Amino acid sequence: MSGLFAFLRRDIRAALAIAYLALLVLVAVAAPWLSPYSPTAQNVNDMLAQPSAAHWLGTDDLGRDILSRLIHGAPATIYASLLAVGVAILLGVPVGLAAGYFGGWIDDVISRTIDTLLSFPAIVLAIAVTGALGIGLTNGMIAVGIVFAPQLARLARARTLVVRHELYVDAARCFGASTPHILWRHVLPNAVQPVIVQVTLLLAAALLAEASLSFLGLGVQPPHPSWGAMLARAYQAMDIAPEQMYPPGLAILFTALAFNALGESMRVALDPTLKR
Amino acid sequence: MGYDDKFARLSRREAMALASAAGAAALINSPAFAQGTPKKGGVLKVSANANPSSLDPQTGGAGSDHTMLFPMYDTLVEWDYETLKPKPGLAESWSFTDPQTLVMNIRSGVTFHDGTPLDAEAVKFNLDRAKTEQRSNIKADLATVASVATTGPQQVTLKLSQPDAALPGILSDRAGMMISPTAVKASGNIDRKPVGAGAYQFVSWTDNEKIVIKRYDKYWRANERHLDGIEFAIIPELATGVRSVIAGQNHVAYSLPARQKAVLKRASNINQASGPTVYCQQIYFNWGRPPFDDIRVRKAINHAVDRATFVKATLDGVGEPAFMNLPSSHWAYDAEVAKLYPHDPDKARALLKEANIPQGFELDLIGYTDQDSIRREEILIEQFAKVGLKAKFTNGSIAEMSAAFFGKDKKGAGLLSAWTGRPDPSLTYTLLYSKNSYFNAARADVPAGLPEALAATRASENIDARKKAFATVQRIVMENALACPLAFQFELDALSPKVKGFKPNLLGKPKYEGVWLES
Amino acid sequence: MAQGSALAMIGRRLLQAAPVIVLATFIVFGLLKLLPGDVAVTLAGDNATDERIAEIRRIYGLDRPFLVQYGVWLWKAAHGDLSQSILSGEQVVTSIARCFPHTLLIVVMALGLALLIGVPLGAAAAARPNGPVDRATMTLASIGIAVPNFWLAMILVSLFALRWNIFPATGATAFSVSPTDAINHAILPALALAAGGMAEVARQVRGSLLDVMSSQFVRTLRAKGLKTSTILWRHGLKNIAVNLLTVTGLLFNRLLAATVVVEAVFAIPGMGGLIVHAAIQRDFTVVQGVVFAMVIVVILVNLVTDMLCAAVDPRIGR
Repeated sequence: MSGLFAFLRRDIRAALAIAYLALLVLVAVAAPWLSPYSPTAQNVNDMLAQPSAAHWLGTDDLGRDILSRLIHGAPATIYASLLAVGVAILLGVPVGLAAGYFGGWIDDVISRTIDTLLSFPAIVLAIAVTGALGIGLTNGMIAVGIVFAPQLARLARARTLVVRHELYVDAARCFGASTPHILWRHVLPNAVQPVIVQVTLLLAAALLAEASLSFLGLGVQPPHPSWGAMLARAYQAMDIAPEQMYPPGLAILFTALAFNALGESMRVALDPTLKR
Repeated sequence: MGYDDKFARLSRREAMALASAAGAAALINSPAFAQGTPKKGGVLKVSANANPSSLDPQTGGAGSDHTMLFPMYDTLVEWDYETLKPKPGLAESWSFTDPQTLVMNIRSGVTFHDGTPLDAEAVKFNLDRAKTEQRSNIKADLATVASVATTGPQQVTLKLSQPDAALPGILSDRAGMMISPTAVKASGNIDRKPVGAGAYQFVSWTDNEKIVIKRYDKYWRANERHLDGIEFAIIPELATGVRSVIAGQNHVAYSLPARQKAVLKRASNINQASGPTVYCQQIYFNWGRPPFDDIRVRKAINHAVDRATFVKATLDGVGEPAFMNLPSSHWAYDAEVAKLYPHDPDKARALLKEANIPQGFELDLIGYTDQDSIRREEILIEQFAKVGLKAKFTNGSIAEMSAAFFGKDKKGAGLLSAWTGRPDPSLTYTLLYSKNSYFNAARADVPAGLPEALAATRASENIDARKKAFATVQRIVMENALACPLAFQFELDALSPKVKGFKPNLLGKPKYEGVWLES
Repeated sequence: MAQGSALAMIGRRLLQAAPVIVLATFIVFGLLKLLPGDVAVTLAGDNATDERIAEIRRIYGLDRPFLVQYGVWLWKAAHGDLSQSILSGEQVVTSIARCFPHTLLIVVMALGLALLIGVPLGAAAAARPNGPVDRATMTLASIGIAVPNFWLAMILVSLFALRWNIFPATGATAFSVSPTDAINHAILPALALAAGGMAEVARQVRGSLLDVMSSQFVRTLRAKGLKTSTILWRHGLKNIAVNLLTVTGLLFNRLLAATVVVEAVFAIPGMGGLIVHAAIQRDFTVVQGVVFAMVIVVILVNLVTDMLCAAVDPRIGR
């Protein structure tokens, strides 16, 4: 009974998460039509205003409508998360596949490198790389992607090891299929499921990393709104208008929660051993 | 504590009145801060805004260094807090025996922190080093000094290559800070172990954390110095600095952004001090290449910026619009030049059209990463958008971006930065607008007549003649729109009520002479 | 476990860690060589002549081949010399020695808080799976993992420091100068950091307790009539020690990274301030040094965790 209840609860959670994320994407796409004001329109006569009928969430330190900035911050946030995770997938998955499939010294070298990279504190490495590549959202998120790649590589490698000697892979090899073909058609599909779960969780991590980098001034550059950059500004105004920190902070929190919830639900749904 | 001492500061109108009266009594200083008899002892804790570039005044380069240098280095010439007019310092008197000869009499009985006597030889050593030392950052300051000779045990004579009435003012800045020759000869590099002849001697410097100095017992004005020492805690985030004063961890936070005013107002246990300064926020143009090689584009920018709004958004109450490189309270300010660039988007658009700049043209600008800079950038981006220009800022650290713009790389068409000001305005104009000046990013030719006009500002010691000469300089600079001055940032300081005797100055770089702590 | 074999194991682990450390240095060094732009030009500052730039290149060895530069750096690093800051000239080791204690204090306090709150919370949750405590704990755990630490830090500052003036808003005091003052300064940052940690601890404790509870051994005890809470305290916690140790080690490393951003909120002169400052200024020797130092700490913590686990449960050691 309790198992069934837990299941239902998880399903509701996943459903909520999916609904929220769908809404977020919709908002991001429709930002120009949805937002009541331009996100960059300033009004120095109405700075740090409290919420009102005209400005539902108030205005920021340049008199800009916070709701509009929040809405326009959504695309940047989604772009940043996807970019980082995309880089992680493109770097991590092929490397993991290669390590698992070829084995031998290739695997040794790659595995050692993965282990080493995993002992790097992610955000610290991202800060270092951003400093090196130059400040900006794209550079920052590429850095985050690089940092996340080993996690996916390890996962892909583990799955590849499992299927490498399966009968159908051997069969394909016997029929003279090329290595890329085998990897693409037979090995990769087996790694997809766990990778998708991990990717969903990484989206949340990337979101938090974006916020952190933007907060430190290494991410989104003005005048583009991003939730992290909005928090950085709210920090400046913290003494006189502490309420400024809540809209962007809650937006980050909810989105990260949704990604995590979705990831967890998927993990449970895809992994029979976790079902209790 | 009443309302008055909490908000004691000089209004702009008062400051202007003061300036027109050509420097009268101390007005900036609130009587409240000077109350009572100075008490000896105590360590003043200051929240400092930046890690110094160096503690050797000759090799350092940042305008933010001075406030840490002044307590350790006395200068040959000092200035009046309100007007920046030169007054005796280590040099007890000076005179131009002819327009190209400056004779300075050095105060006797003064010693450096290492016991070396401060005599004519020491002064000559310092001036020569400033002119010749490879790492010297102030060669340009002393460009007119052809030679320095000791003409007595306590007298030096400076031979000039051309008349330069600005020299006394220049010698109240970095070039006038006297370093112990013994220390320099011993180690060559004193960037991190400074030895001066100031009220306080160096104890330690922990990067990005703290600078500690303690009183020098044999200081020549020991009676006017009350503190046992000063600790500068380096806190670059100014909001954090203010919080540290409110929380009682520090006594002073200085050069605060205007938005901190509201914070100070709310805090019950904080005094604020404020006054005009020569600190000018401006856009530097690289006028040697497109698009800013076209005077019409530069003029368009000057018309496109809405200085009043800029000031209201960034400096409400503690700043004023800048129409040239001098604030309205300065003795050499010219009211006519100030009328050249009213906010006029239509005119800006027309000028851009004339210069064949298409709508949506992307301006490649450079700026800094801190939140206050970003805020200024956002205001400008919005204002430029209204005349059809798309401003794109590339941000980095101050050192890196300044080097990229002014140095070899020549990145960006413009730089949003500031000019921290110099005691004598001729130095400001010479450094900013000379053919080979570092701050002329392209080292491009300057408008005809400017070098002559600049020379004229240094030709006479008479203040009225100099004012007239500066009016010409300012007119040439602004008619050619060589820069886009935006705003003068007034000094805003947060002071613990324990701090007495503190006075802001027009230079906007706090000195701590006469400051004492109430127990 | 015999004394000798323990030592042998420590030696073996250290030997295994060595290549990882060397590889880490290579990665750190290589990454920062991607640096576009000429550091020497920035370093030379205003009015620099070409000779001065060449001189700086020589001083910092920037004119030598990559592998030589790396070799020199590694050789020096092995001797405890991480060279000096490009901007301030201070020895990087000195900077790290100054900043690390601040970071360490916060991390240790956060870890303490996470365990102090997380373990009982997890135990309470496990005592009644799907009960109200369990559900509240798990909800809190989800939020704790998703909440941006630095945002939580801002909320804490605005309430506990700016509104109620209970704790200082900024700065830090060295533990050696004044322990009470140091702890007072570290409480808010540690709280902000601990949120995610205590959630993780609670989750792990709950999970392993549930595993233990469903095991044959506990069922037997329960059949003997022992109360659930007694079983949990006497046997449950002992059984999950290894699990907890592993989580603690992982958590330490995660908190170490997370402090970097939280320190910015409190203007704490720790490792975070050091690296952010250096990254923006492109002071690459400092960036290298800090990343390297943190990697070493992470590797060492992993090592110690492994060994402690082995000590608790000798089966793991082999």
